[in-house]
Amino acid sequence: MTRTRSIVRWVLALVPPFMLTAAIPFANRVEPRIAGLPFLLAWIVLWLILTPAFLACIYRLEGRP
Amino acid sequence: MTPAATALSIVALVVLGTIGFALYAVRRVEMDPQQYIVGGRSFGTLFLWVLLAGEVYTSFTFLGAAGWAYGKGAPAFYILSYGTCGYILGYFFLPKVWRIGKERGLLTSPDFFLDRYGSRTLCVCVAILQFFLVVPYVTLQLTGLQILLSMAGYGEYHAKIAVGIAFVLIALFVFTAGLRGTAWASVIKDALVLGAVVFAGIFIPMRFFGSPGAMIGRLLEVHPHWLTLSTGTKGLGITWYVSTVLLTSIGYYMGPHSIAAAYSARDENTIRRNAIFLPIYQIVLLLVFFAGFAALLIVPGLHGSAVDQSFMLVVQRFYPPWVLGAIAGAGALAALVPASALLLGAASVLSKNVIGDLLGIATGDRARTFVTRLLVVVVAAMALYLWLVYKTTLVNLLLLYYNGVTQFMPGFVFALVWRRVGAWGVGAGIGAGMAVAAYLAYHSIDLGGINPGFLALLVNVALCATVTLLTPNRKPAGDAAGSL
Repeated sequence: MTRTRSIVRWVLALVPPFMLTAAIPFANRVEPRIAGLPFLLAWIVLWLILTPAFLACIYRLEGRP
Repeated sequence: MTPAATALSIVALVVLGTIGFALYAVRRVEMDPQQYIVGGRSFGTLFLWVLLAGEVYTSFTFLGAAGWAYGKGAPAFYILSYGTCGYILGYFFLPKVWRIGKERGLLTSPDFFLDRYGSRTLCVCVAILQFFLVVPYVTLQLTGLQILLSMAGYGEYHAKIAVGIAFVLIALFVFTAGLRGTAWASVIKDALVLGAVVFAGIFIPMRFFGSPGAMIGRLLEVHPHWLTLSTGTKGLGITWYVSTVLLTSIGYYMGPHSIAAAYSARDENTIRRNAIFLPIYQIVLLLVFFAGFAALLIVPGLHGSAVDQSFMLVVQRFYPPWVLGAIAGAGALAALVPASALLLGAASVLSKNVIGDLLGIATGDRARTFVTRLLVVVVAAMALYLWLVYKTTLVNLLLLYYNGVTQFMPGFVFALVWRRVGAWGVGAGIGAGMAVAAYLAYHSIDLGGINPGFLALLVNVALCATVTLLTPNRKPAGDAAGSL
C-alpha cells in the first residue's frame, strides 16, 4: 500500500470515532430535530449509518476481494 | 389457564425449543477442545455475525438500555456509540489476532499473551483475572432473567427459583453443545429479539402517542433537558459520555468470549466483512430507547434498579399474556444465550491456561474438554452467588466488567505494534490499571466526570510504556509484530 493510501486509510478510520466522541459537545442540542429525533440522537444515528461506508472504503483501499 | 401460566408457558416453550434446536444441530459434531472452544475455526459470515453481534442483543440491551433511557435520558446514548467505535478497532486488530491464533493453534485470550510475551506467569494472571471479570457480566444476564420471569409470572411465582432452573438448564446446554451450539442458538435468539424490539420500539409508541416522533415531542414537553447531555464535569455529562465511549469501545473485544469468537472465524476477511456491517445492527438499539422513553411517559415514578423493568411493566399492564410471554421469552434468550458464550469463555481460559498449562492436569484432548465442561458449572454457580448478594442496575454491572477487561487492551495492541514491549511492562500496566479501577470504583471518587475505568487505562498505558523504556530491549519477536 502506498504512503498516501495508508494515510487516507487512517483518516477514514478515525473520522467516525471522532464524530462520536470529540464532536459531541457541538452536537449536544435538541434543535433542529431530524426525522423527529433530537439533534444529538440524530447525529449519533447518522454516524452509525455512515461508519459501514467508511469501513467499506478502507476495505477497497486495501485491495481486498 | 391464568395469565401468569400462559405467559410463563410461552417463555418455557421458546427457551426449551431453542435449546432443543441447537442440540439437534450439533448432534454429530465430535467435541475436541478446538471444536468445543473455538468451533473448529470454521465459522462463516452468519455464525461469526451472531457471535460477534451477540453483545448487541443481551439482557443489557433488552432491559438495561431501556432502563437507562427511562432513568437517565441522554447518557444512555453512549450505548449506541461504543459498539460502532469498537467495530472499527476490531476491523484493524482482530484479523491480526486471528492470524496469530491460526498459525500457533491458540485457543484462548491468555494463550495470545503467552505466545507474544513468552511469560507463563503473565498468561496465568490474565487467565485468572478474565475468569473473575466474566462473573459480573453473567450476573447481569441473571438479573435480567429475574426481571423477565417475575414480570411474566405477574408476581405470583418465586422468580429466584425460576432463574435457578433456567440457569442450570443453560449450564447443561453449554456443557453439551460448546461454541457451535451457542452460535446456532444465537441465530434463533437474534431473530426473536429483533421482533420483540421492533414491537417495543415502534408499536408501543404508536399505540400511546401516534408515532415515535410524537412521543419524542411529548417527552420534550414534560422533560425539556432529557435528551441532551449536561455540560460541565458533574455527574453523567459530556466528559463522562466521551470517556465512557472510549473506555467501552477499547474494551469491546477484550472479553475471553470475544477473542474465542474471533478465533472461530474461517478467515481474516470474514472478520473484516462482519466489522463493516455490524454498526448497522446497532441502530436497532434506537428502538430500545424509544421503549424506555415511552415507559417514562406511561408509567413514571420508577427509581433505582427498578428502572430496568420499565418497558416490561408497560407490556404487562397494557397487553395480553401471550404478548408478554412472547417478549419475555425473547428476552430470556437474550439473557441465556450470551451467558452460555460467557460461561464457555471463562471456563476455557481457566481449564487451558491454569489447570492444563500451569498445573499439568487434564492436558489430553478428552480430559481438557471434560474439565472445561465442569468449570462451566463452577462459573455459573459463582454468578448465581454474586446475583443473590449484589443488587445494582444492569448498566452498572456492565461498566464494572468493562473497567476490568479494558485493561488487557494495551497488552494486545503493543504485542502487534511495539516489539520492545515485554511481559514486565504489560504485567505492571495491567496490575496498576486493575488496582486503580478497583480503588476508584469502590470509593466512588468523583473525577470531574471522567469514567474511572478510563483513567485506570491511562495509568496502565503510561506505566507499561515507562517500564518498557526502563528495561533492556528484548530480542525482536517473530513475524507477527508490525503495523496494524
